[in-house]
Amino acid sequence: MMSSLLDWFIQPDVITAIVAFGSMGLFFVGLFGLLTQRHLIKIFISISLMEAAVFLYFLGTIFHRELTAPILGDGHTAFTGMNDPIPHAMILTAIVIGMALFALGVSFAIEYYKLTGRTDINKMKEMGE
Amino acid sequence: MNFKRDIPVRTYSGFALSALLVLTILTILLQSSVEKIERAGDKLLGINAQEGVANAVTSVVVYFRGFDTLGEIAVLFIAALGIGLMVSSHKSAQRHKEESNFILQTASKLLFPFITLFGVYVMIYGHLSPGGGFQGGVIIASGVLLLLISYQNFEVPHALITALETLAGISYVLIGLLGLWILDHFLGNFLPSDISDMGMLISGGIIPLIYIIVGVKVGSEMSMIVQNLIQRSDDE
Repeated sequence: MMSSLLDWFIQPDVITAIVAFGSMGLFFVGLFGLLTQRHLIKIFISISLMEAAVFLYFLGTIFHRELTAPILGDGHTAFTGMNDPIPHAMILTAIVIGMALFALGVSFAIEYYKLTGRTDINKMKEMGE
Repeated sequence: MNFKRDIPVRTYSGFALSALLVLTILTILLQSSVEKIERAGDKLLGINAQEGVANAVTSVVVYFRGFDTLGEIAVLFIAALGIGLMVSSHKSAQRHKEESNFILQTASKLLFPFITLFGVYVMIYGHLSPGGGFQGGVIIASGVLLLLISYQNFEVPHALITALETLAGISYVLIGLLGLWILDHFLGNFLPSDISDMGMLISGGIIPLIYIIVGVKVGSEMSMIVQNLIQRSDDE
């Protein structure tokens, strides 16, 4: 019973579906937070959640169980039967950029709070009405 | 939970419906053609076999997309610059001192060399094993964060960080220009790289060199970001 359930789970289609649904759900959790929360730092955290969902989606969809990591070693001597290295490199770039933007945004939010004492985006008056 | 009044329920149900639609289309697409797609990565892996770098992700990041990585660390630099500028715009006189306890201080003194060593290892072996410049740099910055938390008087040496960062940035561009001069394309692999050396520490020509440079730059920038944010949260 248990092993047949596990066998059903490790089918490629099922894994792809789980990754697609799960990352889409995480993305919409982030989008929901972005639309409903009014605290500045919570908004940045929501954006980070959406980013994480995109990263998970990319890495999950290129993952194949029968292929190895794109690194030689541990008995692999040829670049065959490996997972695609391009999404790994792209996500590596995107993680660094996302982290830098998150740090910059949070520091802007802290600075705004120190200058005005407000964190609520609905009470921002500086942009003009 | 406080919902915003002027976003009606209809908007949310619209979002849910669009999500369902996107999911349906996505699953149909994925199930129909997941086997037939010819991946660009296979071609890259084929080229990579002549390049002499064991970690294909590293050779994609540093070699095939080396110019992108230069832009990426430029973005990181601009973010660090923005954070630093806003801190120095009204610099606080003192971080108010509250000594952390003795256990934390001793443990961080013991741990910091090992964290730095591990970061340098991840950086140098980036072309052979999982890891690389970005990861190693962030590990070193986490060691700096540990010191900043446990010693209230600790300051990252500003001149040293600036010198390291400038040196790393300049040498990245210089290596790229050398490749342009010798091999007629930016970041050309002008150092001798033999395929039979694959898996050795010195292999792959300029690729490990560039990843070490990226690691130094990321480590110094992240240390500055961490220090600026800590100072900021202290001086409220």
